[in-house]
This record gives sequence, structure tokens and C-alpha cells, in this order.
Amino acid sequence: MDYIKDKAPPVREDRLRACNAYGGSCNNLVEQSKKGCLNGIKRSFSQTQGCQLNLSLAILNTIRDSVVIVHGPVGCGGASLSVAGINKNFQQLRDHNARGLLWVNTNMGESEVINGGEDNLREAILYAEKEFRPSAIIIVNSCVPAIIGDDIDSVVERVQSEIQAKIVPVHCEGFKTKIMASAYDAVYHGILRNLLPTLDADIVAKVDKKNQLEELQEKYRISRTVNVLNVSSMSRVDEYELVRLLEALDLKLNILPCYAHPEDFLKATEAALNVSICATHDDYFVEHLKTKYNIPFILRTIPIGVKYTNRWILDIGKFFGVEEAAECFIAQETKLLEKALAPYRELFKGKRVVIGGGEIRVIANAELLTYLGFEVVGMRAYHYDQFADEMLEEVAESDKVPFNVATGQPFEQANLIVNLKPDLYVGHVGGNGWAGKQGIPVLPIFHQSNIFLGYTGVFEFVRRLARVLRNPSFNRNLGENTKLPYFVNWYEKDAFSYIDEGNV
Amino acid sequence: MSKFIDRPRYLCTLGGAVATLKALPRVIPIIHAAAGCGGNIANALHGAAGYLGSGYCAGLALPSSNIYEKDIVFGGEERLAEQIATTLEVVNGDLYFVVTGCMVDIIGDDAVAVANRFHQEGKPVFGAETGGFKGNSYKGYDIVLSKLFTDFVEKDPVKDKTVVNLFGLVPIQDVFWKGNLQILKNLLGKIGYQVNTFFGEGETLDHLKYAGAASLNILVSDVYGIEPAQIFEKIHGVPYVVAPLPIGSAGTERFLRTVGEVLGTKQILLEQVIAEEKARYYSYIERLADVYNDLDFQRYSVVVADANYAPALARFLADDLGWLPELVVITDILTEEEQLLLTARFQDFTSGLQPKVVFDTDTTNVSKHFNASWPRNNNDRYFDHFSPAFVLGSSLDRDFATAIGAPHLSVSYPVSNRVVLDRGYVGYQGALRLVEDIFGRLVGSR
Repeated sequence: MDYIKDKAPPVREDRLRACNAYGGSCNNLVEQSKKGCLNGIKRSFSQTQGCQLNLSLAILNTIRDSVVIVHGPVGCGGASLSVAGINKNFQQLRDHNARGLLWVNTNMGESEVINGGEDNLREAILYAEKEFRPSAIIIVNSCVPAIIGDDIDSVVERVQSEIQAKIVPVHCEGFKTKIMASAYDAVYHGILRNLLPTLDADIVAKVDKKNQLEELQEKYRISRTVNVLNVSSMSRVDEYELVRLLEALDLKLNILPCYAHPEDFLKATEAALNVSICATHDDYFVEHLKTKYNIPFILRTIPIGVKYTNRWILDIGKFFGVEEAAECFIAQETKLLEKALAPYRELFKGKRVVIGGGEIRVIANAELLTYLGFEVVGMRAYHYDQFADEMLEEVAESDKVPFNVATGQPFEQANLIVNLKPDLYVGHVGGNGWAGKQGIPVLPIFHQSNIFLGYTGVFEFVRRLARVLRNPSFNRNLGENTKLPYFVNWYEKDAFSYIDEGNV
Repeated sequence: MSKFIDRPRYLCTLGGAVATLKALPRVIPIIHAAAGCGGNIANALHGAAGYLGSGYCAGLALPSSNIYEKDIVFGGEERLAEQIATTLEVVNGDLYFVVTGCMVDIIGDDAVAVANRFHQEGKPVFGAETGGFKGNSYKGYDIVLSKLFTDFVEKDPVKDKTVVNLFGLVPIQDVFWKGNLQILKNLLGKIGYQVNTFFGEGETLDHLKYAGAASLNILVSDVYGIEPAQIFEKIHGVPYVVAPLPIGSAGTERFLRTVGEVLGTKQILLEQVIAEEKARYYSYIERLADVYNDLDFQRYSVVVADANYAPALARFLADDLGWLPELVVITDILTEEEQLLLTARFQDFTSGLQPKVVFDTDTTNVSKHFNASWPRNNNDRYFDHFSPAFVLGSSLDRDFATAIGAPHLSVSYPVSNRVVLDRGYVGYQGALRLVEDIFGRLVGSR
């Protein structure tokens, strides 16, 4: 894969034939996905969702010692107002002196729509440099400058020589794609073009300065180093767990891209392997690191639940030729964990659960919940692409369990919950309130404050599940005293009535 | 040409429009925009607004046409018509209001005409162009209210002397709007008036629909809601009076006298209500006599707030609490004329204090204005510190407060470090809540 010469990456509808509207069985979904017939499904009734700019900010806002410039009208990126406070705490978990989230909006008004907004952008860049002296200035480009033809790359090219900070333009205009996950490619594209060592010569020059012993030591270090790619919706404790798992195999970790310092990306090429915890999050980055720097990668699975955590470790162990050690470690970990889980199993037995979140994570979570004794009666994923095919094929009774591909769309979820009658909803943070108002207990997952990954994550998840089930009164009261905005007859219709496959 | 803003404390026109509609009872916003507009707004109207929640049909439930590249090329009116029709099928509301994002305004979709087609078929569908580049949240509030005043409020030539409307307090952008409106409503009720606030507790759309029968519109803002008030006057013949947001005894008494004078309220009643309210207020404030005077609870202070809150808070601090609000930073985007109007609001404090007032939209500049208005210690043996101090601002001003070693309370948007339900800070009653919250910080470590 090599799109790096282009200013912007292709959107996922084109690159991966990804879709964000589907309702039906799991096995049919996999079949359709493999045939490539999911592209173009749409909704005749839709609710709002995130765009690639929103999701790009979820990652970019975490980069330390940076200023984010949102190039657009004053509301674009406004959601940052809700995370500015907590963001600093999370950054400081990585660096005690981190300044937290700083951003500037270029405030494009009517005059800029007519005359262009390049001057505003240039001034914002100069301000960010002068005021904050950051290591990086990250520009997220919104819809308006894209449609009126602002050439942000030229602005950047002209101004870069005047300032110290590395400028990282990110082309994440919301209207370009319905697949919010295109954001991952947009962000990595900006990082790959601007924060990674640009020339092989850089690397060679560095090595040249060393004597032979140092060179060997360096080579050895790199041969035992893994880039682990994190996501913005995991916690610092999740990272500690991944460090623990891989240190058991005597490996060192570089954790990128979330909460990293811009300079950390210079070291991204000093690793023997790239490991993703979520293929759909990272394929663009690791494919390019393979093409450009010849670093192999493992994308296959996600360390959620016992089965997939085992597979994740084993795949990495195999790569480094320490399969046996990995197996040993896995056996020891699972034995300990099994023992800790035993008292909870009775509590979970046969309880019906609906799950929502990212495609890979939902499927891994379904496997985990099934393993714990729950009955998974429905799954919802933000979008769907080929990366989930292998895992979804492994889902038991895949012809019976409904799978709903929807970025948000709480009306479909409300219908599913009424008709599937789950005892519990387990959903990605953001939007779980709707299930709460339907009166059922909710366990939020994928938050920067909780651990969910690895073996420790399984146990903490189980502990939280038991806690939530122990007293679901808050949501029960909500259910009795609040109303969702849909007509009663909506719940009598098929949940997927407004999914229109006409254009496929 | 506009200037960039370092951490703006508002959304765009569309954001303000959605906030306004979200706060109206059983009103369903329909967004005609790119997919992310609503999602971005949903987060800002929740996590930065005291954890307001998704509401009845906002948050991620906001109906939205989610147009993308193809619609931008070919036009999105057809998609909008489909979305309106299906929203009417699925979502149970009393009024449906189409609001637009930048992209559809730029490509020239006539969303209002599409909405009107449904209206002509007898469906309660309205629409307005609210593309984000037109202005900030306040502009969205003004556009939505103007549209509703024009097309939804019924004409009524007969005016009821006992009914007034009150607006200019922008829902959600004023995080305490619901509590604030309730307090003002009760207060005006005491001097004999029924009040439509449109967004208040227990109000329905009928309060808006029949607002044309009111005898006066009371604007609690020098700058917000003015355009809708002028439209209201032109269409419904109801005049308006500006009576700035009142906080505390000093401000509220002025508020009641301003309103009472225009309405011709009986002087006796007015005096009686003021006396009663003041007596109740001071029966609680009196409790602080000991702690204020034993622990010396006078403070220097800095106020960083929007155009409505800034003068109200500064007056409260100076004239009610006897504090020293030395610097006030007003963070809204304002015209020179509006700045003059607001500056005048700081000239007549009964305490005689005149805070330094600056207009600046940029968050980083707050500390610069502070450094410019209070000398720094150059290692002098004796130095007049800005201490003890207190900062009233938004959650964005916490870092500034920490830097000057002052406690801080978030009052102005964004408020991400507090949960807000029915708390209000206006009037006599709200000032007691504010006193609890401010002094609560001062005794917090005891």
C-alpha cells in the first residue's frame, strides 16, 4: 500500500468497500462482505453520527505538546469543549508536565466562505507557534475550506520554514465519507507524511555515527521491540496490561499513536514488528510501514477475552520464535483467571445481552460474554469491513443472531432492545443513555478510565458486570419514568425497515 | 474578515439552533447537513453543559439527512424531503424544525422551501438556514426564535396586561437556563405577571404559540434575542424592554424596578415584593456574618464569562458580596456598539467599584489581561499580591485560576466539571445558590 504521495488518503467506501448500514444475520453479512456487496446501502431515515473530523480529533487531541487547529467555521471541533478538562489528566498519565488539550479554531465566517480562509489558517498557525511553542501543530481540515478550495497544503508549505513546530495537515473533511473510521486513515496519513523519519538517509546517518558494538546493541534492541498501536478509547491501565503481556515474552513496547509525543513517531521505524489491537483502526498505518520501512505487522485479532488474548499473544510469540514460552505463559495466565472467574459464572448463566461498539471489538466481546455464560442475542457495530470476516465467521449460531451495522442510529437499537428483550446492554461509551432509558442495566466499555484488555481486563470486566447487575435500580427507575421519542408502532416494525439496499 | 479563536466558548449557528430546539418541549430538530455536524454538537451540548444529557430527541437521536459527497454534487433536497417524511413516521413530536449546516447552504439547497412543502400539507414542519459560517451559537438562537415568532406564534390583537414573555437567556449556552428561567418566572409572578419563557419548567409549545397576547417582551440581555424581539414587535405589536440578567439583591432590585416601570406595576406591590424578597435573602446571608468576618471572606476576583453573565456576576460580587472584581473578560464575539452597551453596565455599581472590562475571545489571553492589570512581583520585599482571590469563569479557566493560586467556579459555558440540574443563579434565590457554591469552595478543605 502506498498512498503517501497523495495529499489525502482515499475514503473507506472506495478503499475497503466498507458499509455503515446493515441489518440481518451474521453469516449473511460475512457472505455479502466477501462478495463486496455491502457498499452503498443507505438509510431513508437516519440519525446523526460522528464524522471523520470528530473521530480524527478523538485521536489527535491526545497527542502531547501539540496544538490542534480546526480549520473551519467556529462550531467545528466544538465537542473538544467537553473533553478539554479530562484530557489533561489523561495526558499527564503519560507525562506529568503535559499541558493538556490546546486548540484554535480558524472561525471561518461568510467573508471567508467567499474569499477563502487561507489567511485565517496562516495566522492561526503563527499564533499557535508564538503562543505555545509546541512540537507539532496539527491542522484538521473541515468541509467548508474543502468545498471552497482552500489549499491548506500550500499554506503549510509556505509557513513551515518560518516556524519550529512540525505542521501536520490532516484531511478529514466530514462530507467526504459516511464511514467515520476513514478518520483513522486520515490521521495516520498526516502522521506518516509529517512525523515519521522522512528519509532512509536519516536512519542510515544515525547508525553510521556508532561503533560496531553500539550498532549491534541497537540492532538487538530493535529486534526485540514491538510498536503496539493503541486506540483513543482505551485506558492507561489497558496499556500497562499489554506491556505486562509482551514483557513476559521479553519484548519492549513503543506505544503509539494516542497520547504519544510527536517525537515518539520518529522511533516508529525502530521496531521489529507492528502489532495492532484493532485491524480496522490500524491497517493503513501498518501497511505503509511495511511498504516504506519493511516492518512486518500482525493485524489478525484483538486482545479482548481469553480466546482472542491467547491468539494475540501466540501470534506475536510465533513471530519472535518464542511460541513455547508464549504457550507456557498463556497456560499459567488462563489457569489463574479461570479460578478467579469461577464464582461469577452462576450469576451470568443464561442472561441475554446485546452488545454495541466497533466491529472487531463487538465480536470479541460477544465471544467473551458467551464464554462467561451469557447468551448474546444481538450485536451492533459502527461500521463493517473485511477485517471482521474471520472473527464473525467463528460466532456460534451466526445464522440466528441479528447483526446491526449502524453508526449510532439509536432508533434501531431501541427497536432491537424492545424486541430482543435483553437483560443487559454492553455498549461503547457515548450513547448508552438510550438503553438506560429503556430500563435495562448497561455496562459501558472502551473508556479511558477502565481496563478491558488482556486477562486483567477480563477479570475487571467481570467484576464490573457483577456490580452493575447487583443493583440495576437507577436504570429501572429511568425506564419507568422517561420516554424515548419514537412512535409506539415503530417497535412493531422490523428494526431494519429504513435500511435501503436499493442502490447496492 | 474574522479572526481565529483560541478555544471558542460557543458552537456555530447550527449548534445554537439545535440547542435552542433541544430545549423546547417536544420539538424535533431535523438536521440537513453532513453527518458529523449533529454528532459534534451532541457532545458539546452534553459534556460541556453540566451533563445535560441527550434530551428527548437530541444527542445521537437527532434526525439528520447525513448528506455526503454525492449529495453535495447533485444537491441534497431530495434526500431532505425523504428524511422529513420518514422523521414524521418514526419520531413523535409536536413541531419539526429543519436546520441546515454549512455545506447545504453553500451548494444552495433550498431547505426552507422543502420544509414549507410539508407545512402546506398541514404538517407542523418549519425550517431555517443556519449554516455554521453565519455566526456562533447566539446567532442560531436568534434565527430559530425569529422564525418561530414569525411563523408559529399566532397573531393576537388583544393583549393581556398580565402576561409577559421573557427571553434573551440562551438555553444550554447558559448552562443554568432552566433554573434561571424558573426563578425569574416566579419572581415576576409575585408582582402579578404570568410569564412565557418558552423553555421553562412545565411549559408547552402553547406558551409559545399564544405568546402574541403578551403585553411586553422582557429581554434579559443587551445583545441576545434583540433581533427576535424586534421582529416580534413588528409582527405582533408587542414592545420590548431590556432588563439585564439579575444576580443577587442589588441586581434583582434594579431588574424589578426596570420591568415594573415599563409595565406600570403598582408601586406598593413592587415595594412589598422587593422588601419580602430582600428579607428572605438576608435572613440567609445573615448566617455568613460570622464566617465572612471571622475568616475574612472578602476576595479579589476575576470574572471570565459571556455577555449576559459577566456584568451580572461582577455586580453581584462587588455590590452584594463586597468583593473586588478587578478584571472582567467578556469572551463573546461582539460588535463595537454591543461592547459600548456592555461597558456601560459596569459604570454604576453601588459599591463604586469599576472593574477593568476587556473583550477577548481567546482563552490564553485571560492571563495576559490579568498580568497587564495587576503588577507582577519583581522579588520585592513588600508586594501587594492579588490574594486572596477567586475566579468565576468556565471550565476552560481552571488552569488560569490554578496559575494565580485562586479557587475557581465554573458558571459560564463550557461547564464540564460540574453536574447541573435545576440550579439557577439569578434573582435573590439563585444568588443564595451561588453563595453556597462560592463559599462552599472556600470552606472545602475544612
